Amino acid sequence: MTDRMGTNRMGARARFLALAVAVSLAGTAIAAGQPQIVGINAAVLNNVRIRSAGAPQAHIAVVRQRVALNDEVQTGGRSQLQVLLLDKTTFTVGANARLTIDRFVYDPNRSARSLAASVTKGAFRFISGRPDTAGTTNVRTPIASIGIRGTIFEGVVGQDAANIAAGEPGVGPRVRSDPATASLIILRGPGRGTQGRVRPGVIDVTAAGRTVTIDQPLRAVYVPAAGMAPIGPFIISPRGLQQVQALIFPGVAQAMAFLPNDRTGTGFVPPETGGRRPRYGYPGYPEPGGDGYPGRGGYPGQGGFPGQGGFPIGDLPSGGNGQMSQDPAGKPNQVQPNQGQMGQGQDPAGQSPGGQSPGGQGPGKKLKSPAAVQAPGPTPTPTPTPTPTPKYPGKP
Amino acid sequence: MATRYPLYLCLALSSAWLMAPPAFAQADPAAALDQLSDAATGTGSGTALARQQIRSGDLTGAAATLERVLINHPDASDVLLLHASVLCRLDDAGGARLEIDEVRGRAIPGQAWAEATAACGPIGRPGRGG
Repeated sequence: MTDRMGTNRMGARARFLALAVAVSLAGTAIAAGQPQIVGINAAVLNNVRIRSAGAPQAHIAVVRQRVALNDEVQTGGRSQLQVLLLDKTTFTVGANARLTIDRFVYDPNRSARSLAASVTKGAFRFISGRPDTAGTTNVRTPIASIGIRGTIFEGVVGQDAANIAAGEPGVGPRVRSDPATASLIILRGPGRGTQGRVRPGVIDVTAAGRTVTIDQPLRAVYVPAAGMAPIGPFIISPRGLQQVQALIFPGVAQAMAFLPNDRTGTGFVPPETGGRRPRYGYPGYPEPGGDGYPGRGGYPGQGGFPGQGGFPIGDLPSGGNGQMSQDPAGKPNQVQPNQGQMGQGQDPAGQSPGGQSPGGQGPGKKLKSPAAVQAPGPTPTPTPTPTPTPKYPGKP
Repeated sequence: MATRYPLYLCLALSSAWLMAPPAFAQADPAAALDQLSDAATGTGSGTALARQQIRSGDLTGAAATLERVLINHPDASDVLLLHASVLCRLDDAGGARLEIDEVRGRAIPGQAWAEATAACGPIGRPGRGG
């Protein structure tokens, strides 16, 4: 009898344990099935949608909405979103963009983070979160990978990247680009002279097995197409940077009326006709040389921003290294990677377009479209034919 | 014995709750981010938070805060100017100059220009201001 009661008790305990384990496992399964929250929509402008992993349709994004791992963020024309991740890292994406957080592991107690994200289209701005956080951070575009070490950088993927790069002296209009995947990456800081509890930022841009490291603000790298090595680093021109800003911050661009005639809905306006023909034979693009930012050399330590007064953002000054010169033989043009930083100290005093604003050439100037961007191929590329584009009124 | 099954069930559920992973048991991990988002809904609260972050040395956090404010208030020239001053502190003077130029001719309080000057060095104050 005693043995039988003991057997029953043991059986009950076994059943209890089995039940506890089963319920616990069920709870674990439920938790595992729930999406892993990685952040929130901290700010939303206009038409933004999020498609959860595996979901057939996207839903409208709202402020404070949770963002989960593998959610695909999609923005519409003149729209914008800032995703704030748990470690305070931010992704600000502009119009017509697609962003996915592919991996996010964050342990605030150990100040460790591992982040991987992909941007397949559009413009974005990345700001690292906690500066003391260890771990790997990587952002991928369809053709490039950006390794990040505590920094602020911006990127443009797609046709807009090709258009902007075509207007850059460091790239030029004759580089063949894939309008679907072309990737332009710009480091914004912090620079070496930064203040506060931040460290200078560094990014490594890798494409086609080649890595280019950028460690100074406003240096850029352009990857035209799959299988092509990165071009750069080169100094992004003021106009190019302004166009990138217009893509990332379409609301500000519209409110500040510095890109008022965008008809594409993306916030992008092609490079403005400079009124003179560059040496490489395509009107509308500034000539190489100088960084074009106001104040001779433009950057602290290179010629002096403070005390210069005025903030001209007109054409780049002439000069430069001439690497984008026209091919007189009309041979097929090839990608010409920039062999260094352009034009520092090549802006003689008095040649800078001091005081010119982007619209300083006044209303009514005809615009020329950027280079006709073509997919990579072996066929020769003729000099692109500009097409009529909207007028570009001057700034007030 | 059967009368004890409810007790076993309660114990099992309690055990399961305790054994479940943190995500199943803890509160919303993103709740702290809501405050940052909420602060950016107004220019006053957003710039106040940004200035607090600047004072504490969290310059990247201040830049992110101001960018949130600018998404909600894209015409806030004083916020854009403060953002430019943060860029100067981050040693992105070229980017800051573009933003300063964008507010050219807009009415901006003198205090905002003073902040920009403090961060970026002496700058020509373009246009008219308040």
